[in-house]
Amino acid sequence: MLTKRQNLMETIKGGNPDRFVNQYEFMELIMEAPMDLPLAPGPGMTVKNKWGITFSWPEGQIGSFPVHDDEHKVVKDITKWKDVVKAPSVYYTDEEWAAAVAHANSVDRTDKFVTAFCAPGIFEMTHHLMGVEDALMNLYEEPEAMKELIDYVVEYELAYAQQVIEHLHPDALFHHDDWGSQISTLISPAMFEEFFLPAYKKVYGFWKENGVQLIVHHSDSYAATFVPFMIEMGIDIWQGAMTTNNIPELIKKYGGKISFMGDIDSGVVDHPTWSREEIAKYVAIACQRCGKLYFIPNLSQGLNISSFPGVYETTSEEIDRMS
Amino acid sequence: MTKIEEVKAKLEAGKAKLVPGLVQEALDEGNAVGDILQAMTDSMGVVGDKFSAGEIFVPEMLMAAKAMSKGVEVIKPLLTSTSTSSLGTCVIGTVQGDLHDIGKNLVTMMLESAGFNMIDLGVDVSTEKFIKAIKENENVTLVACSGLLTTTMSAMKETVQALKSSGLTGFKVIVGGAPVTQAMADEIGADGFAPDAGSATVKAKELVKA
Repeated sequence: MLTKRQNLMETIKGGNPDRFVNQYEFMELIMEAPMDLPLAPGPGMTVKNKWGITFSWPEGQIGSFPVHDDEHKVVKDITKWKDVVKAPSVYYTDEEWAAAVAHANSVDRTDKFVTAFCAPGIFEMTHHLMGVEDALMNLYEEPEAMKELIDYVVEYELAYAQQVIEHLHPDALFHHDDWGSQISTLISPAMFEEFFLPAYKKVYGFWKENGVQLIVHHSDSYAATFVPFMIEMGIDIWQGAMTTNNIPELIKKYGGKISFMGDIDSGVVDHPTWSREEIAKYVAIACQRCGKLYFIPNLSQGLNISSFPGVYETTSEEIDRMS
Repeated sequence: MTKIEEVKAKLEAGKAKLVPGLVQEALDEGNAVGDILQAMTDSMGVVGDKFSAGEIFVPEMLMAAKAMSKGVEVIKPLLTSTSTSSLGTCVIGTVQGDLHDIGKNLVTMMLESAGFNMIDLGVDVSTEKFIKAIKENENVTLVACSGLLTTTMSAMKETVQALKSSGLTGFKVIVGGAPVTQAMADEIGADGFAPDAGSATVKAKELVKA
């Protein structure tokens, strides 16, 4: 029986996997790594992170949201972003790194990939700072200022990457950046190519130049039209690929250059009245239509969890059953 | 190309800085205010259709809506009841428990451009707040409920059912958002459904004119 790591490599290289890669099993996420807390940690809480972005997680919601009223927006005028955007320090003490280092050292790297985690992504950071509508319109109205801001975020990501690489020597990177809605990308392919492709080529190129073998990118959305860019920027696995992307078609077209992780939409199976039967049905559909090569059956959720207890574990059990 | 055609072309291209000047030039040439407004409204219809077809994306739509808004500012002082054809008032909001707003905001812009007087209640809107807004505003012809989370679909159902059983009349209810389907809209008793902001305008007009 192949190790989880071997089975993953067989899957994405078009070899002979002996079972379905089961969701996040191949990644050992080192979540203890010190990082700027990007989100509010729990219901009923509001935090201001080190970028100055306020996040609120209202009671009864399933996640936290950046707050973008006039009082809380960090960037009110993109032409003056340099006056208000100050990236936090990427330097942490050895004590702050200790838990992450211990975790990374405890992993059997023949079985799993020690995986660094980065969120939010570059696109998300622009709209966290100013609100999504301003961020999108500024790509038209003030493109140079937006490019400067994107470069600044890239520099921050590279500096943080350097620290993570030095401390953890990760084998893989799991990087978040949501680029679309369920049915479309938020921006056109041309705009993505102009603003975000160069940024990601730098960031993912740096990780790969420094020993990271696997880039896993999360965008739980439609983004089929961005797949050629994903390949160009060095993504090995697109996690969060929703059913709206027609993944079997993408596998036929791009298999061997990139792999797809998803095809089980969290919104469909991860709800308060979830059931094993419903999960089994959607797992079977995904596994049967996508097959074992260049595909990893997975909830579209951006971590190895579910919104409602039991859904992630039941999905894993059903994937094993399909294997 | 006539000046009105220029206004239309630049609006569809989202040239918010150019449209006000062109609108002024169209006025100076003697074009009727109503004709200019209609041209801009038609252009936003084209923008909505292109968005629905996947030919343009959110930034292009936002820029077109901004261009429309800047154009309307120029003619606003000249608008009379005879030069506008209002479709009535639309009360819009994202249902209780859901804080997503971009879809709702896009629909607001598109419906405003189409001729609705918009009352935007924001996000996390309770049933009571929807009903209060219908009572407090004149000529409410449409109530639009948005929701993105599957977990708030029950709130959408409750909202639609409360609106329908409130005893208030004269308006139709339209619903939309990523998890919403025509089947779900039918099941919860909504009058209409639209999958995106472009088709929401078409559906909204159809509903209030029915």
